[in-house]
Amino acid sequence: MTTKHRLITDSFKVVKRAKRTGKREKTPTPPPPQKEAEIGTVSEEQLQKLRQFDLDWRFGPCTGISRLQRWERANLHGLNPPEEIRDLLLETHNDPNYKLSLWSEYPL
Amino acid sequence: LVDKDLTGLSVLGEQLLQILLGDPGWQIRFSKLLFCPCAVMFSELSAQKDGSSLLCRPGSEHQGPVFERASPAYSPCSERYSVGERSFNRQYAHIYAARLMQMRPLLAERAQQKWGRDVLIRKLCDLQAGEQCCVVGTLFKRMELQPSILKEISEEHNLLPQPVRIKYISEADELILEDELQRIKLEGRIDRDKCVTGSVVVIYGAERNDGKFTVEDFCTADLPLQAERPALSSDRFVLLASGLGLGSSHADSMLGLQLLVDMVSGQLGDQGEQSGAAMISRVLLAGNLLSQNTQDKDASTKAKYLTKKTQAGSVEAIRLLDELLLQLVASVSVDVMPGQYDPTNYTLPQQPLHKCMFPLSSVYPTLQLVSNPYQANIDGVRFLGTSGQNVCDIQRYSSMESHLEILEETLRLRHLAPTAPDTLGCYPFYQKDPFILEECPHVYFSGNAPTFESKVIKGADGQEVLLVTIPEFSSTQTVCLVNLRTLECEPVSFSAFSGDEEESEMNISH
Repeated sequence: MTTKHRLITDSFKVVKRAKRTGKREKTPTPPPPQKEAEIGTVSEEQLQKLRQFDLDWRFGPCTGISRLQRWERANLHGLNPPEEIRDLLLETHNDPNYKLSLWSEYPL
Repeated sequence: LVDKDLTGLSVLGEQLLQILLGDPGWQIRFSKLLFCPCAVMFSELSAQKDGSSLLCRPGSEHQGPVFERASPAYSPCSERYSVGERSFNRQYAHIYAARLMQMRPLLAERAQQKWGRDVLIRKLCDLQAGEQCCVVGTLFKRMELQPSILKEISEEHNLLPQPVRIKYISEADELILEDELQRIKLEGRIDRDKCVTGSVVVIYGAERNDGKFTVEDFCTADLPLQAERPALSSDRFVLLASGLGLGSSHADSMLGLQLLVDMVSGQLGDQGEQSGAAMISRVLLAGNLLSQNTQDKDASTKAKYLTKKTQAGSVEAIRLLDELLLQLVASVSVDVMPGQYDPTNYTLPQQPLHKCMFPLSSVYPTLQLVSNPYQANIDGVRFLGTSGQNVCDIQRYSSMESHLEILEETLRLRHLAPTAPDTLGCYPFYQKDPFILEECPHVYFSGNAPTFESKVIKGADGQEVLLVTIPEFSSTQTVCLVNLRTLECEPVSFSAFSGDEEESEMNISH
């Protein structure tokens, strides 16, 4: 009988709200200005190069795969993607700003 | 008579005997059923009481001859069809991009071969009206009748759901060529109904002022280069079968299936037949081992508490398959490909069935569970083929009817499954398209065809390919044998009720 009055949330804590806040943190993307200020103009130049690489249609679509994967595919099919892009990507492969394409923040 | 006859026969011997004794009409029918290595029919064999080893008293002391089965050199080459990491975050744009990247150099070369060295090859974005040139691109057929999820959703708007059709082509279809950036409508000398979405071709012609491209000629990548086939000294056979259809509601194929197993494992017939069976060096089962009936849709739609105690239809069928395989793998190497209705992933490339489903037969090293597009070298003969989904899908979306014709067309396109991922399920590859043929097979097959057909085609660079459509066993009771030495192929039928069409085909000796 006593169990009847207990709520399911007594044993399973409400987690939905926590999730939502997590998402909300994700959606606004203004953090870049901070970072850019930290890293300075050199990285901005590099990022610009990478964005140009993303926008080069000869190397195929860029959504859903990493920049390095795209570079390797282009290389595999003999499309001569620029070497400097690869070097840049290998140096900075952990940084999502470098790793993922221009459109990675947009939902598919 | 009974103790004389039962010596060489296996489990089914008794049934056979009963049938033979019961009705004289059956005797003649069965003569076509059993497969005879020499041109002697079963009825003749059973008539000669002295000569046959079957109809003599079992020799208690001497064992009888043993026929060693030839075991050919075998190397599987299906790595390209195994999916390592499974990521479904990607769109299918990548597979089309990779396909075009891979095919473009090949097609540019073909275009130069066909229309001269100095032929102009343009991208669509550089196209000028009225200029004669070539364009490499992926075909897209816009089809009014093609089932679409958006149309299905519009059911909510009180529209009738689309009927299921055999063919989805219509007069209103439009053929469009796409390259990396643009697309253009095609007209002229290109058979709209025969083409399918996803094939990469090169077209020759000119753009007209109204923005459509008038095709004067087109060309496909055609056969890739072929490795030379080593000369074999003796006849060896690979048995191809598909569509066993276990677990169907009607079990009429079981007799035929057991006869097939007994024939291959040498349990059937005279010493002559047994020595013939020993020449079968490998068995390839090309998909649809289970029947469509084992996939009951109820399980997914019914409430869980209603289906709690029911067992999936495929469980019993897999057990049956395991028992059949056990009899086979004890004496011959067997490759088992999954098909459309088998319990593995649905999308191509289908990964091998899991060996935990075959507790009895998987302990034998002769059992090979392989992927669905399947590629292997057997005695230097390159086999490549599928369980037939690719062919059936093209059949639905083009005017082509014959499985053999479609099979040839895919070889000419140099692509196993051009309609994937459009109308055929396919893993979202991004690096390369594994369905593009890089090497020409010697035997190119597809399973689950309505009838057996085969044909040898020859390529421009001396390629020679045997095309085989393996009939569905459950409906045709037919398998086929490919001779590795001569690349000849013939059907073997286990049907007791078939007409007179296959008397001569029964003979497998050359």
